[in-house]
Amino acid sequence: MYALVDAVSFYASAEKVFDPSIRNRPVVVLTNNDGCICAVCPIARKLGIPKFKPYFQVKNFLEKHSVVVRSSNYELYADLSEKMMNVISRFCDNQHIYSIDEAFLSFNNYACINDWHDYGQQIRKAIWKETRLPVGVGFGSTPTLAKAANHAAKKLSGFNGVAIADTHKKDILQRMTVEQVWGIGSKLGAKLNVLGVKSAFDLAKQNPKQMRKQFSVLVERTINELNGISCLSWDDVKQAKKEIFSTRSFGQRLTDFNALRSALVFHAYIVAKKVREQQSLIKRISVFASSSPHDDDYYKNAVQVQFASPTDNTLYIASCVATAVQKIYYPGVRFYRCGVGAIELDTNIYQPDLFAKDTNNIELMQCLDAINNRYGSGTLQLGAMNTEKFHMRREFMSPRFTSQWQDIPKIHC
Amino acid sequence: MKIIPIYAEAGITGFESPAAEYKELGLSLDQLLINHPDATFIGQASGDSMQGVGIYDGDILIVDRSLNCKNGDVIVANYNGCFVCKILDKVQARLVSASSTHSPVTITRGDDFQIEGVVTRSIRLHQQAPEIIACML
Repeated sequence: MYALVDAVSFYASAEKVFDPSIRNRPVVVLTNNDGCICAVCPIARKLGIPKFKPYFQVKNFLEKHSVVVRSSNYELYADLSEKMMNVISRFCDNQHIYSIDEAFLSFNNYACINDWHDYGQQIRKAIWKETRLPVGVGFGSTPTLAKAANHAAKKLSGFNGVAIADTHKKDILQRMTVEQVWGIGSKLGAKLNVLGVKSAFDLAKQNPKQMRKQFSVLVERTINELNGISCLSWDDVKQAKKEIFSTRSFGQRLTDFNALRSALVFHAYIVAKKVREQQSLIKRISVFASSSPHDDDYYKNAVQVQFASPTDNTLYIASCVATAVQKIYYPGVRFYRCGVGAIELDTNIYQPDLFAKDTNNIELMQCLDAINNRYGSGTLQLGAMNTEKFHMRREFMSPRFTSQWQDIPKIHC
Repeated sequence: MKIIPIYAEAGITGFESPAAEYKELGLSLDQLLINHPDATFIGQASGDSMQGVGIYDGDILIVDRSLNCKNGDVIVANYNGCFVCKILDKVQARLVSASSTHSPVTITRGDDFQIEGVVTRSIRLHQQAPEIIACML
């Protein structure tokens, strides 16, 4: 048996954990730079607030309904996510953390459980009691069915936060569009719609071999999974990222060489940090910048840098990026967007090249990460970075209740 | 990369510390004070109504959400959208202060009330900690 546990509107729910004054109020959370709405709590959902709408477009509407608006407080979400995942881990013998708010569980030695519905409620209760986060739990004999059951548990009427795909399979799959099936998505879903495959149930009835010919092995696997034949191994699900990018558009167009360089060095810094987090090394990076496609004389340029030996050294990567900028910059271009991508990653076990200089500096990088994790990211940064301009706008951020002493919740006596 | 650690020696060695082989990990307050780290949060007391049980203004409170509250426990609750620290009177559904100047509050149907956890420890800072200034503001 598999399960998928995930939090109901995680970011918005996390905002309510240490702020009881907003527990019964509609809450929305904005994305990076307060651009769009990325999370809507169930109370706010009833007001019909759409997700991924630019904030400025709905600002008046939110004010009218006195909706609580918060910037993304990643420090808080990361901490609560970790606690939630730890609580979840008690309930299974294999847990795979799929994203910040969802985890797949597998149960190999749980033959004693005969009431999975009750077990699901126990998981929900424990997570609510210990972390104050509401979750939905879906069970299924394959990961894809568990994901479908989770959808049912949270979105379909008649399920109170827990669903078991195997007992209500037809009902659940008929009420799910094919796009909502794990791994299908809107693009593939549109193609399937043309063939008359509209619901998840329609997809489950297809001939897997034939669909493999028409689409891909992934669709074949998905069909098998929907029919209870497990095809996705744990490793398929938990692969490390194969590419890591950091990219952003500027608030104002840039024409200055130094400004572009400091922006790109900033992205190099972010990419190196993320690469270290997943314990990989970079073999090749791509450095790119462009003007806006809506401007006249659209300009776009990219440079790839191959490292002699795989590295995760922020200083080395940043210096390579800084050199690459000379090839990308062109005077007079009004740059709108730029970024750095680690496009070839390696595991952090490697054979050093006897003749190439080892660019890694493990101790220094550990020290850098430790300081930034302890005192807040950006405490130690590179001189070439101009972070002021790229600092995230977080106008409505709640206190970092669990990671900064000055922000711990006040308790009235 | 495999490294074989061979220390350079010049034949001059200091007297080895006789305590070296007795070294253990140092004491950690977390280990002593926090039993359920994933279900625990830290807050700061504000106010003087709990002095009777030794909780003073500015004290650090360690709150465990995983424990089941018993009658008479010192708890943190959400009382009408505010975190409060009180003694739980389950029998009469009241929040009781540990001070003669504060009378008990009865929880009624119209109140927004949830128990947030049990206060398992409180910590007195006999000198102000610069990291914690929120309650002084």
